[in-house]
Amino acid sequence: MTDWARRAHPFTPGAVMLALVAAAVIAPAPNGSVIVYSVTIMLAIITGAGRGVWLGILVSAPLWLLLFVMHGILGEGPRAPFIGGGTLAVEGMRWAIGQGARLAAIVTASLAFATVFDPHRFLQAAIDRGWPWPLAFLVVATLDAAERFAGQARRLREAQRTRGLKVHGSLLTRARAIPALAFPLMLAALTEADEHTLALETRGLTRRGRRTALDPPADTPLDRLTRWIALLAVMLLLTWRISA
Amino acid sequence: MSPRLFALIPAAVAINLVIGRVVAELSLPVYLDTLGTMLVAVLTGLSGGLLVGTVSQLLSGMLSGYQWLAFTPIQWLIALLAALAASRGGFSTHWRSAAWGAACGLAGGALSAVISFVLFRGVTAGGVTAIGAGLRALGFSLESAVTLASVSTDVIDKIMAFVVVGMLLRALPRRVLGRFPLAARAVGR
Repeated sequence: MTDWARRAHPFTPGAVMLALVAAAVIAPAPNGSVIVYSVTIMLAIITGAGRGVWLGILVSAPLWLLLFVMHGILGEGPRAPFIGGGTLAVEGMRWAIGQGARLAAIVTASLAFATVFDPHRFLQAAIDRGWPWPLAFLVVATLDAAERFAGQARRLREAQRTRGLKVHGSLLTRARAIPALAFPLMLAALTEADEHTLALETRGLTRRGRRTALDPPADTPLDRLTRWIALLAVMLLLTWRISA
Repeated sequence: MSPRLFALIPAAVAINLVIGRVVAELSLPVYLDTLGTMLVAVLTGLSGGLLVGTVSQLLSGMLSGYQWLAFTPIQWLIALLAALAASRGGFSTHWRSAAWGAACGLAGGALSAVISFVLFRGVTAGGVTAIGAGLRALGFSLESAVTLASVSTDVIDKIMAFVVVGMLLRALPRRVLGRFPLAARAVGR
């Protein structure tokens, strides 16, 4: 079970992630949100996407802090004593815990999914299911481009710094560095788009018709069952929330 | 959809994500995470900008949490205003770019404040929430603090973004601009 999220059909972790995001939105705060967050952490660890949990804690930590300051310390209404002689807004803290757990659940589900997502397996699965090829291509090409451009940005920043670009100092000094860092990237995007246009035309991107997947991932009964359970769980939660 | 737009979209989305990250590393109180959306809206028109904005939010949601999908309408609004500015020659000078940027910042900031207040009660991205918290500490109500923080950061952000896109468009050779009639009109050529 340890590496299940990576070995599963690419649509299955996506369906589970969407179900968890929906559950986090539907579940009543604060108790429901805390339960959904706990379930998300448990599922991520069990299925081998535990790295997403740690990344989720890192990403949601500033949100927890800001929620505490904005609604706990600066909140309005009745106040309760807090350590060090201070006080906290009771209703604000209730909202902060509920919203914090809800956001942390969504962040964790998203990042756990991102850590196991394989764009090329997804492309094969999408082609196999008869999804429009341009749509599947867009997802994969965008993820590839994001990684490539991030590397390019790092190299560019180092190169510009060796030429004397200042990236530290006053607000104005740092703001002046933006054109030197942004322009080459934007120009590279335009140049690259020209080259890719030709490549896409020769590969028949806009041609209609079904394509054949070269290596479609297996869609096992367990995958199908998991997706149905995810859908059913969200429907049940929604029904319960509406009727409650 | 043309192969050129298909080739532009991934690069533009990557620009949104990467420049957003570069600006965050410079610790500037702006985002500049819509440059790709603006660029494509100006080069190819509204539909291209809408598509880049949507894909950007989907991808950025995957990398930092899908709660930020709620801000997708801001990307659409920026694409709309950038395409409108392009059709009216809004990138022909620094001042025109800055004026359109300010208008876009006001509209975007107002929409962002509504989303931020209704769905998140003002706690969203670090910088803007820190400004909001500062305003709350000064005695502003939550609604006023969220609105002031969103609008002020968005106006600065969009002025800078429009000016940067305008500078880039004006620096492009006629040969490149010739392939994008809307962009040529945007810079008054």
